[in-house]
Amino acid sequence: MALMESIKETYRKVELFFGNVKFAVVIILIFATFLAYGTFMESYHGTEYANRLIYKSIPFMIVQFMMFLSIVFAALIRLPPKKHLYGFYTIHSGLITLFLGSFITYEAGVDGSLTLVPNLPNREIQLNEDELKIGFPARKKDATLELPFSAGEVNLDMDYENIHIREFFPFAADELSWTPVKIEGQGATSARYRLFNKNFGEFITLSLHPKADFNNTTTLGLLNVHYMPKGLQKCFASTNPEGLIVWNGEDNGCMAPGSDDIKKFKGVAGRERIELIYDGQKIAFLPEMSPLPLDDSMELNEKSPFRIFSKKLFEKSPHLFVFGEGAAWFDKNTGKWESREIKKNEELDLPWMGFKLKLLDFRADAYPTMTPKLVKPVQEQGQTTYGNMKAVRVEIDGESFWVRSTEPVAFNKNDERITFQIAKKVKTLKYELVLDQFKMDTDPGTQTPASFESFVTLFKGTEGSEKHHIFMNNPLKHQDFTFYQASYFPTEQGPNGSILSVNYDPGRFWKYLGSLMLVLGSMWHYYLRRKHMKKPGVS
Amino acid sequence: MLNKFLILIIFLPVMAWAQMDFCNQDLENYPVLAGGREKPLYVLAIDTIRFMTGETKVGDLPATVAFCKLSLKAFGMPLELPVMIRVDHVDVKKLLGMNEKDHAMPVNDIFARAGDIETKIAELKENNSFKKELTKVSQRMGTYQAITEGRAWTVPLKTSKGVEFVALTEFLSRERVESAQGKGMNPVQYLFNQGKADYLAAKGDGYLLELKYFKLNLFQWAILVSLLAILLLGGMKNKIPGSVFVVLTVVMQITAMTMRVMISGRAPITNMYETVMFSGFGALILSCIITFVRKETVFVLAGLGYNILCLMMMKFAHGMLDEGISPLVPVLRDNFWLSTHVTTVILSYAALALSWILANSLLIRKRFFTVTNEEYRYQSDLIYTAIKVGTVMLAAGVILGGVWADYSWGRFWGWDPKETWSLIVLLVYTAILHGRYSSWIPPKRFVPLVAGAFMSVMMAWFGVNYILASGLHSYGFSEGGAIFLGSFFLIQILLLLTGVIGNKQAPEQST
Repeated sequence: MALMESIKETYRKVELFFGNVKFAVVIILIFATFLAYGTFMESYHGTEYANRLIYKSIPFMIVQFMMFLSIVFAALIRLPPKKHLYGFYTIHSGLITLFLGSFITYEAGVDGSLTLVPNLPNREIQLNEDELKIGFPARKKDATLELPFSAGEVNLDMDYENIHIREFFPFAADELSWTPVKIEGQGATSARYRLFNKNFGEFITLSLHPKADFNNTTTLGLLNVHYMPKGLQKCFASTNPEGLIVWNGEDNGCMAPGSDDIKKFKGVAGRERIELIYDGQKIAFLPEMSPLPLDDSMELNEKSPFRIFSKKLFEKSPHLFVFGEGAAWFDKNTGKWESREIKKNEELDLPWMGFKLKLLDFRADAYPTMTPKLVKPVQEQGQTTYGNMKAVRVEIDGESFWVRSTEPVAFNKNDERITFQIAKKVKTLKYELVLDQFKMDTDPGTQTPASFESFVTLFKGTEGSEKHHIFMNNPLKHQDFTFYQASYFPTEQGPNGSILSVNYDPGRFWKYLGSLMLVLGSMWHYYLRRKHMKKPGVS
Repeated sequence: MLNKFLILIIFLPVMAWAQMDFCNQDLENYPVLAGGREKPLYVLAIDTIRFMTGETKVGDLPATVAFCKLSLKAFGMPLELPVMIRVDHVDVKKLLGMNEKDHAMPVNDIFARAGDIETKIAELKENNSFKKELTKVSQRMGTYQAITEGRAWTVPLKTSKGVEFVALTEFLSRERVESAQGKGMNPVQYLFNQGKADYLAAKGDGYLLELKYFKLNLFQWAILVSLLAILLLGGMKNKIPGSVFVVLTVVMQITAMTMRVMISGRAPITNMYETVMFSGFGALILSCIITFVRKETVFVLAGLGYNILCLMMMKFAHGMLDEGISPLVPVLRDNFWLSTHVTTVILSYAALALSWILANSLLIRKRFFTVTNEEYRYQSDLIYTAIKVGTVMLAAGVILGGVWADYSWGRFWGWDPKETWSLIVLLVYTAILHGRYSSWIPPKRFVPLVAGAFMSVMMAWFGVNYILASGLHSYGFSEGGAIFLGSFFLIQILLLLTGVIGNKQAPEQST
């Protein structure tokens, strides 16, 4: 009996605490504060970031649970039923139903997207959760690790077959970093420039190092930029009428042979063969045919360090040659090759559309790589424009590398190929959809979309197929799933593909019922309360 | 370019005349296609000139004439108009070397700095208010280019497919102008008249309703009528004259909104301008209903006051509220859900606005005049009535939004800032109602809390669009929603401080 009394007393205290109106007010305000913070995060960093940081975080779930307890006990504390509180009971029952419906959706619902390429069947729904997939193709073995739904860095610290899974960055961006390296000769240098004019500006990083994540050439519109060893600059500066440059790849030296330095011969199939002496060494080329020199048997010698090319090839269209702390180009106005020196943070005027070249960094002691950094994503007009990459750091045999969500990675361990990929979790449907046509109408005289429509065929296996027309506010419902027109994308083949959002919501009925009870209960409550307050003696 | 010079050479004498006589205000009712809709040139000209310059005139020239003259630059007409490109952000002004007090820069000067603007846009990673304003300035310059290159003005042309709209430069092609020579009048004028006649024959003159709508300016007149209604209702014992003016205001606003619905073909609640319009009107209607039920004139006075505030915003806050009628984004093209969800939410804001007006006026009256405890409690009960109506409607509106989202996107709730802030407003008012119910919030606290709570409505309504969308550094705007909202919050906080500090006649008991 004493125990029962004690339990009753404890329950009464719990009921009084959670059912208290003051507790309700406090928890409502805490909940509202979380929400307000979440809206700022959503606006600046996107929906996924806000979901990970706030709306699907443990503290927020606890606050919601406290709200739930407050609603439940506020109703229980006012039992047995009183007539003037019927509306109040209905409101609170509605809120409890709404909470339960939301919980069912959270636990058992499916929310994903289906990407449809024209005329290709698909039945795989991409869900919001991320996975790291590790594949062993030789053994036909796969492993999947579900990645945590966090907003910040998580140290996974997991091992699988001597593969160590380290940090996970849910929002990452590749940033330039310099990896130190021993200085070997003058060849493997790297440099970073800014190329700009009044209307345009671009940072360019170029490298000659084999391990660098950057090439030694890039294209910006019509302009081609080539990064070359410093030793070649003097040959671009020289004014040899033949316009030829011979490059020795071993020491990155060069020679710009004059007319007297070259002997010309009629070569194979009428092609001109030239011979010249480079540092006392006789070399022969078929410059119209290949940059490779010829060996003694007059075959192209791929092993030779020598290459030949003609500067005249780079005179017709804009080509900029950069050599770290130097640059050369052909100026059509003067009809001459120009060569300039440039120091760090100095600017050079180029002869194209007011462009300038600024040297930002020149390194021989390090090469540039792109390394994922944890960032806060940036949202612009509803799209994540920065930080929308996910990255996991993996260590195998003491070697560390990053797996990015942008591309799969393969690693060879003891002659076995292991593949890594970050991908969205997938749910497979029992039927498939084929996009027959995607149609987008625009408002008259504009490129503004007026409607998105997908004409699809639903293949139901042995039950045959059906044609459906999905557009905004007109989803396709099949079995438990609903397919909504969400977005579209251009394809290489020409016609647009379509993205449908796919949803299964077992809590829908309860959410609707709870909502209805909440609104009708509110009206009933105020009606009954007004009636109750009019009774004599009630204040 | 060669084509343009050929036209100029052929029609130099005529074009000189055209510059003088062709660009006149008779063009206001000329049909054009712009922004996905067919409309009178007057509307296009006002919209584009205002977007570029922030004004409805260029020098002394009305928008239509200025737009026409600027368009003739596409044909090499050597004319210079004093076009000033609007610049609002302090950092953009600094970048362009402007005086901080100036709000516009001569078009030639700003085009000389085009490179700086484009470079800065490319450099900025964060999409903050500075970058947004730079983009806007760039768009204003783009609009100027579109006009002066003859691309902004589309003209009806009869083709084998019917009447189509083509750019001015295509319309006044050399061949077409040559073929119109000798038709008994200025060939350019002849082609324009022909284009309009073809359009009217094919599509009628329904588009002119928009011209009437803008020219009638019914919302502007409604300000005056509402003011008269307040004066008559507040100053006379006989309420009939005031009521007549209330009815007149309602009729004028219904007429204007009906015209807008007929022009756009949808409920008038699809952008900020329209929600302000509907909110003021909704508050007036709600206040009339509550006045009828509670037999209390103060509600209709509050409704009229709030309606005037909304109408003034529509009239003067062009930097924040766009009066133009544009096609809807695809997902909003559902009149049922648009009419039910948005209308319910805006009407709930209207009811809460009544409580806000009543609460503030009670605070001020109590601070500077004498209010008895009985009257204070009575007034606070009136405020409570407005809150109850507003909260129930807001709950219904938020839920209807969830149902629409579920129907359209498959998600009852998606934590979108707009829907989340609507929920925050609901929670704030629910907390106040709970507090008042438990006597934790006596009338002394209830009234200032209600006055302050409306800031959450303003955040949900305007803040989501103008603060959250502008980024953390929206302080830099000298005009626009962020400054409006900041000023509103400041004034409201000052009112609260004034009303609460030094307040000695606070009733202690709740009703």
